[in-house]
Amino acid sequence: MGIIYIGDRATGKTHLAMELANPKSHYVKVCHPDYEYLKALLYDDSVGETRATDAEKEVDARHLDIQVKLPTGFKQVTVDCIDTPGEIWRKTWQVDNPGKWKNFLETVRKSEGILLILPPYRELLNQGVNTEEFMTQQQWSNRFNRWVEFFRQDCPKARHIVVCINKADLFCEINQEALKLAYNPNGAQFNWHQRNSYVLQKYFSSIQAQLEQINKSISGLSVRCFITTIYNRSLLELPWIYLGAFLAK
Amino acid sequence: MSNIRVIGPRGSGKTTYLAALAYWPDKRRLGKKAHHFTIQALNNETRELAEKAENIIREGGSLEPTTVAGGIDSLPFYSFRIEVKNLLTIVEMNLAIRDYPGEIFEELESGTKNHLTEEFIDECLMKDVKGCLILLTEWKKGTDKFYSRVLKRFTDLIDSHDRGNDLRIAVAMSKCERGELWPGRLAPEIDLFDVHLPETKAILTAKINPKNLRFYAISTFGVLQRNDPRPNRVDEWGTDGRNSVLRKPSVWQPYGMISPLYWLSTGKRMRDDA
Repeated sequence: MGIIYIGDRATGKTHLAMELANPKSHYVKVCHPDYEYLKALLYDDSVGETRATDAEKEVDARHLDIQVKLPTGFKQVTVDCIDTPGEIWRKTWQVDNPGKWKNFLETVRKSEGILLILPPYRELLNQGVNTEEFMTQQQWSNRFNRWVEFFRQDCPKARHIVVCINKADLFCEINQEALKLAYNPNGAQFNWHQRNSYVLQKYFSSIQAQLEQINKSISGLSVRCFITTIYNRSLLELPWIYLGAFLAK
Repeated sequence: MSNIRVIGPRGSGKTTYLAALAYWPDKRRLGKKAHHFTIQALNNETRELAEKAENIIREGGSLEPTTVAGGIDSLPFYSFRIEVKNLLTIVEMNLAIRDYPGEIFEELESGTKNHLTEEFIDECLMKDVKGCLILLTEWKKGTDKFYSRVLKRFTDLIDSHDRGNDLRIAVAMSKCERGELWPGRLAPEIDLFDVHLPETKAILTAKINPKNLRFYAISTFGVLQRNDPRPNRVDEWGTDGRNSVLRKPSVWQPYGMISPLYWLSTGKRMRDDA
């Protein structure tokens, strides 16, 4: 069983995967591998950020043993967490590396869960953030059309698609949002339906029609939307708790 | 052990129905009607399904669709012991239930021979299967025709498998918490099937021995309260807009879940299943 992280370059996929293993956890605990081991492997202390995922390897698979605390208790989720280099979404890379692109598509098709990590768009950002590094809402929305095409054409049997706008610390008051959205197995403010509706309306409204297109084209699927950041554990864990409820043994 | 199959189109709520049934033991403390019956999950698959009800349905999510991908052998058997307390007696039923992917129901329409569909139908109509619960859910224009074509084909298959005389068929309108259906739940044959699915009913009554056919109304989510009949569900986007999730888990009280199983298993009518 696999869960795959996909997204453009520098959206923070690797960092999200690495921070999930941080032992300061709430309801999602990565039992293996160890956080320090992952950090040594993925993090570059000299520049203070994760190393870019190697585009020579179209998929970077890591076996994770995860425990998720659900209402019925701790459940084991054993997944192959697959990180992908952002470069592979460039048409030129796909043309230059047809074999690797084919391998990647096969991996995606076998995956039970797909986590699409999006960057925030410019209009969403808090004051003081350097907006030049981010796409405008129009560009962001246009780029999402290509994700729609990808899901519809290449993932017709996807079981779970989770779309996250990452780096929530750059565009909202993360502690306040976490208070609303946080999960609690003993009863939370919102359930999954309410969390999705809230996030969808507040952050994803410009691509709502495209998300519906994905839903309609894949039988039985419900795309779920989240905001994530490595700086708030509740928000970081939410997509995994959601997937864990389906994939837990 | 009574063998029962649950069939119906995609999104008709087959697995959710079974999950609610499996989860019932935890909820029985809440309902004042609970003394009429008790339900016990007998095997691991059923206990896992009960956990899904708690971890997913109660948390405002919807279960994944059952798929044909792994073939008939990959489908779980859910096993229940249900005790129904009548005035002076207790009737105990042990049930082995399997629900089939909606595609199987829908592919019957084409009538074309397909190895996978045949495998499911052969298993569904084996001699040791006591009955089928057919869940139907829509009534929009054209659906009655579609259901009647599929069920005409299904009744032909019942005959060709020599099950015409000894297979009970319980046909239920599912998701009856919907406002258009809820008032019709007390007399489903007249107020739901005659009104919304007349052609389907006509085919079934013409082709199936009356002693082997009954009509039911089922609501897995129920309504908010006896005097507040708003559906205990919220519709959300999904394929064809068919997804719905539980609205208030604290007042979750399904309706009509046991009656069809009781009749399929015993051939007798159950007194009260509200």
